[in-house]
Amino acid sequence: MGLPDRLTCEEVFERLDDYLDRELTPDQMRLVHEHLEICAVCASEYRFESGIITGVREKLRRVAVPESLRARISALLKDHAS
Amino acid sequence: MESAATLPAAGAGNSPGSFGALLEPVLDAAFGIALRYTRSRTDAEDLVQEAALLACRGFHTFTPGSNFRAWFHRILTNCFYTRYRKERRQGAELDLEETSELYLYEETVALGLHAQTRDPAAQVMDKLTGELIEEAIGSLSDEYRVVATLYFLEEFSYQEIAEVVGVPVGTVRSRLHRARHMLQKSLWAIAKDRGIVSELIGIPDQGE
Repeated sequence: MGLPDRLTCEEVFERLDDYLDRELTPDQMRLVHEHLEICAVCASEYRFESGIITGVREKLRRVAVPESLRARISALLKDHAS
Repeated sequence: MESAATLPAAGAGNSPGSFGALLEPVLDAAFGIALRYTRSRTDAEDLVQEAALLACRGFHTFTPGSNFRAWFHRILTNCFYTRYRKERRQGAELDLEETSELYLYEETVALGLHAQTRDPAAQVMDKLTGELIEEAIGSLSDEYRVVATLYFLEEFSYQEIAEVVGVPVGTVRSRLHRARHMLQKSLWAIAKDRGIVSELIGIPDQGE
């Protein structure tokens, strides 16, 4: 039995999270992509989910390690080496 | 940028010097992750320090050339579960367990947001501050907060998260998907509580 020619909306829905994470096989990625090209509803869902993931990542602030902590770790490593 | 307190310089093989060189570039990320794990700046500092020392002592077990970032965060995460994990979830006891996929999508459709704008996700995210997102991540229980943090903050892959958390890739996949759905529900609850949802209604179309 070969690969299906196309996926249904339900099949794309089941694969959407994996598609967002690029964790499907290349063939499955292609089949989902092809469905999104022709199905406005599924494409809307994908765009929204993708936008939320991207937005959350952008809003999470990067925090630099405090210099006092870096200094303590450095001292510990030097002690360990000696 | 030179720092007065840089970690010991690079050396050969698995020497303490080479450990410092490998640790240096992941230290900021590790601290950020520890902060979201513990939800306490003091605990995060202690956690990173303890993990650094454990990792240094166990550096002979690290395979040179392999993924140090995943290896170190495995130690950090194990240390979190062993020493810093709190028994009870902090913050509001929102029932996040039963959350449908596309939760936020469905809520925003019901609001009529998708009919108003071409980019409803951008409209929603524009209203959510970093602090609200931090609060939503903080509301997740430990196992979901851990995978969500690794995924969102540092974009670890499924395979890397599996290495860090010590579970199969399939478990990472299902846990991360549920964490994302729960995060959406938590974000929406916080947004409603802050009056942000009502602000989303009646926004003119920004897409034309």
